[in-house]
Amino acid sequence: MKVQTSFIIKEYLRPEMLPSTWCGGCGLGIIMGAIAQAVHFKGLDKDNVAMVSGIGCTGRMSGYMDFNTIHTTHGRAPAFATGLKMARPEMTVLTVMGDGDAMSIGGNHLIHAMRRNIGMVAIVVNNSVYGLTGGQTSPTTPIGGHTTTAQSGSFERPMNLEALARTAGAAFYARATVNHTAALTKLIERALDVSGFALVEIISNCHVLFGKMNQMAEASKMIAAMDEDTQRTNPTLLRRADLPIRLTSPESPSAPVHELTEMEDVEDESRTWRGVMFERKGSVDLSKRYYDMLGKIHAQQRAAEEAN
Amino acid sequence: MAQVTPGIYEVQVDKNYCKACGLCVAWCPQDVLADDDEGYPFAPHLEKCINCKLCERHCPDFAIEIIAPSEVLVIEDILAEGA
Ligand SMILES: Cc1ncc(C[n+]2csc(CCOP(=O)(O)OP(=O)(O)O)c2C)c(N)n1
Ligand code: SF4
Ligand code: SF4
Ligand code: SF4
Ligand SMILES: [Mg+2]
Repeated sequence: MKVQTSFIIKEYLRPEMLPSTWCGGCGLGIIMGAIAQAVHFKGLDKDNVAMVSGIGCTGRMSGYMDFNTIHTTHGRAPAFATGLKMARPEMTVLTVMGDGDAMSIGGNHLIHAMRRNIGMVAIVVNNSVYGLTGGQTSPTTPIGGHTTTAQSGSFERPMNLEALARTAGAAFYARATVNHTAALTKLIERALDVSGFALVEIISNCHVLFGKMNQMAEASKMIAAMDEDTQRTNPTLLRRADLPIRLTSPESPSAPVHELTEMEDVEDESRTWRGVMFERKGSVDLSKRYYDMLGKIHAQQRAAEEAN
Repeated sequence: MAQVTPGIYEVQVDKNYCKACGLCVAWCPQDVLADDDEGYPFAPHLEKCINCKLCERHCPDFAIEIIAPSEVLVIEDILAEGA
């Protein structure tokens, strides 16, 4: 069991590709380290792990990690990953996307991967903007957040990915930040245990674009703010059934809380929740269900042939 | 239980990887680290380091490493013992 950084660099990264092209202080590097640690702690053979990424600053991660990697087209990572998982169901598939990649151009692919409940860990790096292309408004830009395409503050409603994942049929949803690094690793580990579609939304910093336009030009300041703006879920309460759909941000649409089961001891907090948001019990990965079905059909055919 | 003895650890910064972002300095709970003239971290108060590894964990570029003397139990040994 090793957690030293030098070990991670040698074992799970491609040192010849480093340092990364990411800006100094970008949380993407912290996320990359957490993924390496989670895979290591789970004892997975890196040759049996595949990383599929889309386009964006986040999309570059597949170039730096020493797994089987595919850097696909913008928004299409879940589609490529679906094909990979169906062809090689024994593989652990990590699908890495930015918020724009996953929710703007790739929204449709993401919804259908969740609907199929195909076995993969989807990492959605939410930095509130399109980083690579220069800080344009993304589906997760908060109301009032200044971006290069919303100079006086965004007035669009941000997307509630958690509610979408729940309705579409994902098996697991967790939210982490690059501030709370131990939890970040742990939540990715939890997602790796899931049979089916496990999504981990990671709140990250694009301090050079989004931060600069919102009085948080320093990486450390922006990452520190993640502690004030989020709050940890109570794991005991989460084990109970029928949870209200928790808000990803105060302005994002959600099911009206009064229509959902009332919970004692839970205050309606405006801060964003982190931790495991939901986990569907008894979920089975689509590729496993498919090959089980195929096995049964083949057995029936053999039995029919023998009977003839 | 492993003992924490401040002052026995070494801080190693690899300038080939470091981007002088200041995250390690901001996160060190013991004020061990500071920025040098070029913004790279160095350890003026090494005697206060408790090997908590928060600097390592928050470094996005795998550039900083805390080296413990070989006779000290390091995290991986503790984890291995528990496993
Ligand atoms: C088909 C297509 N449309 C548009 C682009 C331009 N483009 C590249 S990255 C990107 C958005 C990236 O934002 P996000 O997914 O949030 O990733 P980040 O850079 O923030 O990590 C866009 C619009 C493209 N590469 N391909
Ligand atoms: S532009 Fe933003 S998201 Fe992209 S590397 Fe720089 S800080 Fe990170
Ligand atoms: S290990 Fe902890 S105390 Fe030592 S330099 Fe790093 S952050 Fe500071
Ligand atoms: S966190 Fe890493 S990259 Fe940033 S200044 Fe410290 S050692 Fe350098
Ligand atoms: Mg983004």
